[in-house]
Amino acid sequence: MKKQNGKHSKLMKSEKKLAYLLLTPTFLILTVIAFYPLASVFVTSMTDRAFASSEEHGFVGLQNYKKLLGLTVKELPQQVDEETGEKRYDDETGRPVYERAIRILPRTPIRYKEVSQFGLFGKRYVIGATDREFIRAVSDTLGFTVISVVLETILGMMVALILNTNFKGRGIMRAVMLVPWAIPTAVSSRIWEWMFSSSRIGFFNVIFQKLGWSDGQFAFITNPSSQLWAMVSIDVWKTIPFMALLILAGLQMIPGEMYEAARVDGAGKIRQFFSLTLPFLRPILAVALIFRTLDALRVFDLFQIILAQKRYSMASFTYYQLIDNQAMGYSSASSVIIFMIILIFTVFYIKMAGGVENEK
Amino acid sequence: MKNKKILKIISKTLFYLLLLLILIEMIFPFYWAINSSFKTEAQLMMTPATMIPRDPDTLKLSITLQNFKAVWHNEDFVRGLGNSAIVSLTVTLLSLCFGSFAAFAFGKLRFRFKNASLYVILAMTMFPQVSVLTGLYVVIRTLNISAIPGMIFTYLLFTLPFTVWVLTNFFKGLPDSLLQAAQVDGATPFQSFYRILLPLTAPALVTTGLLAFIQAWNEYLFALTFTSFEPTARTVPVVLALFSGEVAYQQPFGEIMAAAIIVTLPLLVLVFIFQKKIVEGLTSGAVKG
Repeated sequence: MKKQNGKHSKLMKSEKKLAYLLLTPTFLILTVIAFYPLASVFVTSMTDRAFASSEEHGFVGLQNYKKLLGLTVKELPQQVDEETGEKRYDDETGRPVYERAIRILPRTPIRYKEVSQFGLFGKRYVIGATDREFIRAVSDTLGFTVISVVLETILGMMVALILNTNFKGRGIMRAVMLVPWAIPTAVSSRIWEWMFSSSRIGFFNVIFQKLGWSDGQFAFITNPSSQLWAMVSIDVWKTIPFMALLILAGLQMIPGEMYEAARVDGAGKIRQFFSLTLPFLRPILAVALIFRTLDALRVFDLFQIILAQKRYSMASFTYYQLIDNQAMGYSSASSVIIFMIILIFTVFYIKMAGGVENEK
Repeated sequence: MKNKKILKIISKTLFYLLLLLILIEMIFPFYWAINSSFKTEAQLMMTPATMIPRDPDTLKLSITLQNFKAVWHNEDFVRGLGNSAIVSLTVTLLSLCFGSFAAFAFGKLRFRFKNASLYVILAMTMFPQVSVLTGLYVVIRTLNISAIPGMIFTYLLFTLPFTVWVLTNFFKGLPDSLLQAAQVDGATPFQSFYRILLPLTAPALVTTGLLAFIQAWNEYLFALTFTSFEPTARTVPVVLALFSGEVAYQQPFGEIMAAAIIVTLPLLVLVFIFQKKIVEGLTSGAVKG
């Protein structure tokens, strides 16, 4: 008995040893390419290190973060006429004339630049940031993420519902769906860039002019009002298949008898969707949504290739700080901020997935 | 009765119209690239742009292969194809090798901290590459690693965790009795791993390998950053993104589109052959997780 036990534990021991041996390469690699660089990014983010410069770099504490995230909101007072001492109004419109933002925003120790203005309860406010580009990159990326993920989910769901019916050529359809997904983003960015050309040599200008929406000279890429929408449309096109395939996999797990039961109970198609299909899909939708959100938050290829330095995403901002400015400390700090934002979403995801599991 | 039949026909027609619309939406950009790649510079500049390559004067169909020829003689592009192939294939092989080791351990062996380390792997599948960009750039530049090994090594960051995760699920699904039977026959656990279990995982290896290959072939952020000081190591997405003509201001979109098609075709062939496997691989993580 004792002998057998000994043999058993010996076997266990060799099994353990083998397990650790087999895991070593994976964890060694991940240490070198993920954990170590991540730690070094945290450390570098508190220095003013620059690659090309020969100067010694020093510890600057949270200064990089302060500069990246420095935000302020100031009220804009109405301009006062120096001679009469009266408040000024616009001669034509009769609207109040406000002080210029540049005179109100603080200049020392770091200068704040205007990001945008808004009115609230009859007063005018200005938002200032110490790094206008970064704050814009963050808000653009968040906006891009929300809009594209919502659109992708709704459209992906529609496509999945259509594909879930039986029809001839379903196999071909499923294969074709993988086309946008398989094309490298760098390649599809160039293709869409060409379709978005600012005259009628581009596909969209031809269509827009035919539909009477523009004169055929619309600059989708350089016009700030359409830049983000161009990015969203490419991302939505590329990602609908992924969404649709995930949702389709979920749809096919719903037992057919349940629909029959619903039909017997007299539930219409729409009722069936909301009270049967949607609750069933909830866990898979949660996973798909979060996957996509995390992906969209780190969007890089689209922004860097098509918009370059006209407008940044968080990732492309980091890239330009690193490569063009060789500002390692600064770009590290922005990396850390991205990491934190994504971490928050991930924790949220794990909590949500856990909640779904418990409900089961 | 008759009305019902007509209604059925109408709804069927509408359904197929909807399908057609989706189909067009999915492939149209790729079609536009094909269309443009067969046009000459003059045809590309026609307004309004034509849906098929047409002669500017007679408006008859006229196709040119000059863009493809130009791309084929473009040194950077051809070198890029080679670089991409080397990088993607090596990354795929490495992640399958190390990934199946780790997955076997996770799926079939007993050891301490198993769940904790598996969670680390799962978390790594969502790791944002951009957050370590600066750190990796420093490592690569200070150690003086050249760009191609640098890319191969760093691409494992996104291929390896995914491979381990999917293969672990697969190994877990294989019956324990196989391993025990092999052990009774006197095989060491490692022998039973590569003689008995590994051949059984072949389908999963194909799936994860394909996905790893496609990810590596399409990667852009690391490639752009690490080849910034070594232009000859550029992979195809980078070459394509930086493609510029001899005239600095004018982008040769005909050639870019031809290059885009050449880059995409091998992927599309893979996708059509292994369609089922890819869909399985894409959804398996999410459906099970």
